[in-house]
Amino acid sequence: MYIGIDVGGTCTDAVLLDRGLVRAMAKVPTREDLLSSLLEALDEIMKGVEGELVERVVFSTTVITNLIAEKKYDPVGLILMPGPGLSPSLYRFPTDTYIIQGAIDYRGREIIPLRLTEVDQAAAELAARGYRKVAVVGKFSCRNHRHEKEVAARVLWNYPDWHVELGHQVAGQLNFPRRVVSTYLTCATREKYQFFVRSVQEAISQRGIKGAIFILKADGGTLPLESSLEAPVETIFSGPAASTLGVQALTPPGETAVVVDIGGTTTDLALILSGQPLLASRGARVDDMLTHVRALAVKSVPVGGDSVVERVGKDIIIYSERLGAPYCLGGPLPTPTDALRVLGLTRLGDVDRAREAMQMLGAPLGLSVAEMASRVTTRVIETITREIEAMFCRWEQEPAYRVWEVLQKKKVRPSTVVGVGGGAAGFVSQIAARLGCYPVIPPYAPVANAIGAAVARPTLQVTLRADTEQGIYIIQEEGYQGKITERSFNEEKALELAKEWLCKRAARHGLEDCVEGLEVTRREVFNMVRDWVTVGRLIDVTVQTRRGILYHVGVGGTSE
Amino acid sequence: MKNNKTGLVFFPAFDWAISPTHPEREERLLYTRDQIFEEGVLDLPEIEEYAPRLATIHDIARVHFCVPRVQSQVTEAHLIAAGSATLLADAIVHGELKNGFALVRPPGHHAMRVVHGNRGFCNINNEAILVEYLRRHHGIKRIAIVDSDVHHGDGTQDIFYHDPDVLFISFHQDGRTIYPGTGFPNELGGPGAYARTINIPLPPGLGDETFHYVVDNLILPILEEFKPEFIINSAGQDNHFTDPLGSMRFTARGYAEFTRKLNPHLAVLEGGYAIETALPYVNLAILLALAGHDYSYVREPEWPGTILENPERVARVQRVVEQLRNVWENRDRVDLDKIFGTGTFFQRRKHIYYDTDYIEEEQLERVRRCPNCPGYITIDSRADHGYGHSNRVFCVSIPFTACGACQTEAYDAYEQARGLAQYQFVYLQDKSTDTFLAFDRDKGQEWVSEGPKVGE
Repeated sequence: MYIGIDVGGTCTDAVLLDRGLVRAMAKVPTREDLLSSLLEALDEIMKGVEGELVERVVFSTTVITNLIAEKKYDPVGLILMPGPGLSPSLYRFPTDTYIIQGAIDYRGREIIPLRLTEVDQAAAELAARGYRKVAVVGKFSCRNHRHEKEVAARVLWNYPDWHVELGHQVAGQLNFPRRVVSTYLTCATREKYQFFVRSVQEAISQRGIKGAIFILKADGGTLPLESSLEAPVETIFSGPAASTLGVQALTPPGETAVVVDIGGTTTDLALILSGQPLLASRGARVDDMLTHVRALAVKSVPVGGDSVVERVGKDIIIYSERLGAPYCLGGPLPTPTDALRVLGLTRLGDVDRAREAMQMLGAPLGLSVAEMASRVTTRVIETITREIEAMFCRWEQEPAYRVWEVLQKKKVRPSTVVGVGGGAAGFVSQIAARLGCYPVIPPYAPVANAIGAAVARPTLQVTLRADTEQGIYIIQEEGYQGKITERSFNEEKALELAKEWLCKRAARHGLEDCVEGLEVTRREVFNMVRDWVTVGRLIDVTVQTRRGILYHVGVGGTSE
Repeated sequence: MKNNKTGLVFFPAFDWAISPTHPEREERLLYTRDQIFEEGVLDLPEIEEYAPRLATIHDIARVHFCVPRVQSQVTEAHLIAAGSATLLADAIVHGELKNGFALVRPPGHHAMRVVHGNRGFCNINNEAILVEYLRRHHGIKRIAIVDSDVHHGDGTQDIFYHDPDVLFISFHQDGRTIYPGTGFPNELGGPGAYARTINIPLPPGLGDETFHYVVDNLILPILEEFKPEFIINSAGQDNHFTDPLGSMRFTARGYAEFTRKLNPHLAVLEGGYAIETALPYVNLAILLALAGHDYSYVREPEWPGTILENPERVARVQRVVEQLRNVWENRDRVDLDKIFGTGTFFQRRKHIYYDTDYIEEEQLERVRRCPNCPGYITIDSRADHGYGHSNRVFCVSIPFTACGACQTEAYDAYEQARGLAQYQFVYLQDKSTDTFLAFDRDKGQEWVSEGPKVGE
């Protein structure tokens, strides 16, 4: 049996799945203590079920989101080696930043050496300001980590008990400022996250569950809980990923769909293209800082069932904030939910109070209660459909760097609109009508997020870059740099090597059985020509385990 | 509110090359990509990346006579490069962007009006396609092109040689020492566009100081007087001190400062083949300069510090600058008949060599000296492809602002040439109505391209 738990901002949802069928589900309010909410939901679905029967527990949590948003972490200083390029004044990092000499170029060659006295000086100043955690990041450190390692060794030699985090180990992709932020946040949250993980492990084992425990990441993949200690920031924003995977599990395979998750004050939109959730082309924005965290492409629209609706002159405005429950449920002000109640599209709350809310809004405009209600719902639907159109346009407008990529671009539009979340039922059919799609509200829509967590696959990826002229190769995710010994090293051998590393990586995380059906997601070879002679090749390959869900979830068969 | 963003189309064409070891190959912008991505400049709020777009065949036919047809001279990569420039121009004209950088391949500034093949790595002229597009779609009349490639922008010069509304300024390494061997100060434009072409040849070995002497004392003052509505920079980067084909000694910072001073609406990448030592840094510096950011931290690893310029060569440049300023200032007082004769047509013979495709072309170009418009142009062109294979074509071009008389005469010339057996293909390009005709003698067929109506 599989368990999925999504600890969201307001609710914690849990499901127990048995061979593709939902056996139990629970919904409890999320309290400040995330662990106790998680356990409450877990205990509810485990009623009468033996712990040994649980093969797998996956949960998604906002623990890192909260840590960062509330800045509940220790201060982290930065030691950076940006070398030539952008002016450092363009960097906006939220902490004390020391820039020292040293530079690596795009092929990993040293162009400016380090000066260790500068390292000592920066560390001494950080120490004087009370820092004990430091992130060390160099430009192009993903192509050669020597400078970062030397700086770290020097800092730790001076201050052996410090926590030093290195850029190339956190983020191997190109983009130095994002690498800095990712490294900074990793350094800041790791200790607190470790405490959280240990508490979860203990609590779960106390319940006799011996199955593997996983945590969901923002890209919709999962990591064994223990492995996530290496990359705590990747667990941020996993809520939308959970809902999207849930929809994937609850709808037929291969569809192109929009997932509309209408909550109290926000609506999250995500795209499923030919059955696969769309990943954002760039890393996520965390606490207004750009990171390398890979996430699904999710657009949050500030409108939901509980949003406040106000009349301003002859117009109505839907605000993003919530000032309590909808009027029909005893709240202070009119909301879209009241409009739905009047139109008979929801059965929540008291219909008379809902009519009263619409009357308050509509009377000064000379509109009847029904007219006002339809105007409010139309406004919500217009806002959401506009954003859906914009999402598809943005996806079509993704840059392309090859001729074939430009030529194969085509206009894709969804065939279905899938509603999940509390407010979905009343709006989805109208949104779908506007977009010319079929509306779908899958069974178990209110706990789609927990189902998504339960069936999410573990994902591992290995990116290899080989530079045959210099005779070196790099495994991005491992921060490993090795030598190429074979003279006949080529693309095929690079691919084999990358697969070997992926297997090794899988073994280290206890995921040996998921290396079947590897996918090659990137394959790039450039001949290096100097003076009309080919002197070597640059080979980039990325292999990953299969993404997505373990299985689709069927209807019926609940234990309730 | 005027938008303050800089648009970028980055199209490195990672799957396109002239040949595997040719300088114009897949690898050319690879390290530029790495540098731009690693710097995180695409995350800056002032810079917005756009997806490329294809130009239409009609956009190409508005500029070029491609023999036999547009489709036989261009690949999709060419259409994407040209289309990216027009895409950014649209956004600039619509006020979405303040300026833009088409960081694209393949380049185009050696492509002339008649195209029999590839010359100087170019098939079609991205800047010229942009100019005609701006006139047709946005009604922009006065346009300046400043070419900062180490090679003379002879294609662009050829296309606008008789166009009084397009100012073409090119500074480049002296044509006696480098391809294509043209671009001397006496090439000043035809009788209807005198001093609308300005060439500043630079002796090899000169650096940023002389570069900026030319910019400050010649290019900027001329632009100020010409008052273009749109400025295009043919942003070749092979004046760099590490370029393998050129012998100049400009730096990334020199290029960035030039970009800041010129303040072009659109920079379009041309040449530049120091793919590791120059391009990552020069491209980054130009992008930062366009976005109004500090570029003083961009420095090439091989940066030589201040270089000593040969004073005798510097003096030569200063004399050329003075001479050209004179030409510019007296452009309206000069007796054109003395220079160009008094006939109703001005004609010139051209011998054009296609270095990439080994084609020899002989041209007789005639421009009608019309008092009311820039005059229509006819070109009798014969291309020898070697092995006894040759093509003879006749081309007629009617300018955007043609008068009725020139238009009628030009159509007559086209009809007449259709009746002459020596021409395998006869073309007519009527920019005033955006209609293009091509006649194939062997097939006895005529093609008409009217393109989409404006506003579509």
